Amino acid sequence: MDNTDRSLIDAHCQGDGTAFTEIVRRYGQGVFGYLMRMSGSREQAEDLFQETFKRVHEKAHTFRGIQFKSWLFTIATRVAIDNLRRRRRLRLVSLSQTVDCADGTCEQLNTIATTKGCYGPSEEAAMAEQKEQVRQAIGSLPARQRAALVLAYYQQLTYREVAELLGCSIGSVKTQMSRALRTLAQRLPDISEEVK
Amino acid sequence: MRHLTERELLEYQFKLASVPRMRKAAEHLGKCGQCRENLERLIQKFAALDLLREEIIVSDDLVARVVGQAQGGVGNLTLKKRLLRSARNDKWRWIGAAAVLVVGLSLLLVSNLPKEREEKPEFAKEPPSLLSHPSRRGLAETEESRVAADMKLDKSAETIRAEGLSKNAAVMKPLASALLKEEAAGRDLEVSGIGGIAGGVIEEGVIPEQPPFAPASAIELVTLPRRENVQLTIYNSADLTLVRERRNLTLKKGWNWLQFMWANTLIDPTSLVLEPLEQKDKVDIQQLVFPARLRELGRWLIRSEISGQVPFEITYFTSGLSWRAFYMGTLAKDEKTMRLEGYVRVDNGSGEDYENAQTRVIVGQVHLLDQIAELAKRQYPYGAPVRMGDYGGYGGGGYKYGEEGGKHYVRLGDMDGVSQVADALTGLERKEIKKEGLSEYFLYTIEGTETIPDKWGKRLLSFEVNDIEVKSLYKYDEERWGTETIRFVAFTNDEKHNLGQTPIPNGDVKIYSQADDLGYLSYVGGTSIKYIPVNEEVELNLGAARLVNVEPKLMDFKTENYVFDTKNNVAGWDEVRTWKIEVTNTRTLPIEVEITRGLDTAYWELKLDGRDISYQKYDVTHARFKLSLEPRSKRIFEYAIRTYHGQREQALTEQNIKSER
Repeated sequence: MDNTDRSLIDAHCQGDGTAFTEIVRRYGQGVFGYLMRMSGSREQAEDLFQETFKRVHEKAHTFRGIQFKSWLFTIATRVAIDNLRRRRRLRLVSLSQTVDCADGTCEQLNTIATTKGCYGPSEEAAMAEQKEQVRQAIGSLPARQRAALVLAYYQQLTYREVAELLGCSIGSVKTQMSRALRTLAQRLPDISEEVK
Repeated sequence: MRHLTERELLEYQFKLASVPRMRKAAEHLGKCGQCRENLERLIQKFAALDLLREEIIVSDDLVARVVGQAQGGVGNLTLKKRLLRSARNDKWRWIGAAAVLVVGLSLLLVSNLPKEREEKPEFAKEPPSLLSHPSRRGLAETEESRVAADMKLDKSAETIRAEGLSKNAAVMKPLASALLKEEAAGRDLEVSGIGGIAGGVIEEGVIPEQPPFAPASAIELVTLPRRENVQLTIYNSADLTLVRERRNLTLKKGWNWLQFMWANTLIDPTSLVLEPLEQKDKVDIQQLVFPARLRELGRWLIRSEISGQVPFEITYFTSGLSWRAFYMGTLAKDEKTMRLEGYVRVDNGSGEDYENAQTRVIVGQVHLLDQIAELAKRQYPYGAPVRMGDYGGYGGGGYKYGEEGGKHYVRLGDMDGVSQVADALTGLERKEIKKEGLSEYFLYTIEGTETIPDKWGKRLLSFEVNDIEVKSLYKYDEERWGTETIRFVAFTNDEKHNLGQTPIPNGDVKIYSQADDLGYLSYVGGTSIKYIPVNEEVELNLGAARLVNVEPKLMDFKTENYVFDTKNNVAGWDEVRTWKIEVTNTRTLPIEVEITRGLDTAYWELKLDGRDISYQKYDVTHARFKLSLEPRSKRIFEYAIRTYHGQREQALTEQNIKSER
């Protein structure tokens, strides 16, 4: 573990408020990206982000592990999966619906995703549509499959690390991953070379 | 040739398959153009995932919200509520955050923090500190406050200032709102007197019934009354020290808040007791409060009917201080007498410097209900399993503790005794020792005071006694020490041996002998001793002796006196062994040797062949021989041991009964 992480946690546990701020700044980017991909909505990602770091703040004294990042992502994963389950139960939001787009969330996502390259209006529209299809494809995956995919593909963790985060075996992670990929193979859009 | 399925291609591409299957798939792809084409198509399809790979930026606003929320300044909205309130609340959030920033900034400007506070952080570093904090109502600086040498911000305030407003809006908020409320009430701002402790507004001669509220804020203005004196009572059987310190506090008539801080020390906050030493009928300690969210500090609420300085005694337990005894014995050249020096070493790892502390040490077994170090490490003192009498509630405060009363909390038992202590290494004149027998144990107090800084150890001479008559004794017992002869030095803790005034506590002993007339010493051996009561003999085991050798040899063995039962089976017999013992003394001094022989049975008879040698039945299965040897001499003696077995054991018993008659 990074010594600075440990010292930050220790300082935080001893009441140093700046230590927690530093922790949020250090890992906020990665966690937020992960939660964005898990939730598919910036608004929800912000909620999950707050919830994740709230738990980190409250449970920091219980941290006994070696990798703070792994511990943090474990919490984020739990928060995200809990949210997905709750959302399914409450039917507040569905990635297959356009609820988020109604309040401008999709627009935000599109804006975020379109950060490089200069395209014409038609190309941008096509790319935005494809991104939305990708998001919907990922959003259609069951929670654990989605978590495995996002952690392994976007967060670029090894399968071993993903297994540790999800609290399961490597074989289980690979199984989830394999299922997710087969589902995505059916649902991902065919992107054109121009857009790529 | 079977082509690879989509699943196999995906597992190959994403390295999900086992190594043999990966190798097999790679081999196949090397040969099969169609499968390569399929794989390429899949790769192109999954490239769509990279559309979402762009970096997602987390906003500073979100980070600030998270930090604020975690620190308790911002309530957490549920997901549902957030979804419902999402967009329209944004502008109010921004307005709220801006307002907090403005108020916080105003507060810092108004409070006009003096520069000298920055320049004197060392005052606030003294842990544990007793702080009296003036009323927050007073922000206009008076002449008194300007000249007060020891008025300063505590560490939290400095930290907050150093970090700037933007990070601490949530922390500043309670203070700011309190300030605004008071200003709105139209009260005059004033500063309480130096050393005066925060109090409510007191009308002429009348103390309000309700104490002033002391918010759980980390920002305080404080004064630091210094210790007048401090007393340490250190136990060596447990990680426990009783600290009693006296400080003069300036009280105002009315309600006073007194803050006690113990950051980075190992004190047990549940053991804190505050007692006025004078004006007890006019000073009432009402409660001890441990404010939420603030760590390692407690606040006493004191109701005083007088204004002025009052001496207080603060008592608490701490861990991290320890003491242990050790001894150095120097044998005379003839090894008939010994000089014994006893030392006490006090170590301080408590996190606190104890300056000019009266130090007392106690020997004995102390049973603790809780380990003080564990109590000290807790975030909050609440919920401790220790209850102290009828006053036990934290926040109820005012609970009593005395040395007698301490039995509510600490059970003392099996106390050993101790003797005197004086300072030797500091080069000071030998100090007189006051010795006390406290119920079941002894306590001894070092004359004067000692300064024991944190992380320091200090060795003190306990006693020094010359010409203690000792016996040099060599022992041989195969069952205990194998075939080696062990050297002992024995003496008695009594007046005849110039000792006996007090018991001698546990400790390590190192024995030296005078090697020559110039006083050079040679190391003889070392051991540890247990508590030696008065009039008890002690034998110091100095380890294996190289110059004294005991060698037993079995010279003869036979069986006889067989007894048969009615079926002609052997029912009993005697075994007779003849042993020759050769004892060699190559030292230049006469010695005493004690040889213990185990016989493995309780039915035995021993016949000894040797002049000036005696033996005694040490216990039912052991015989012990004692003999003296001249310098550089050798002695040989033999004994025959007859052991009885089976029905012959009974014969021996009958024989013994007859002989007794």
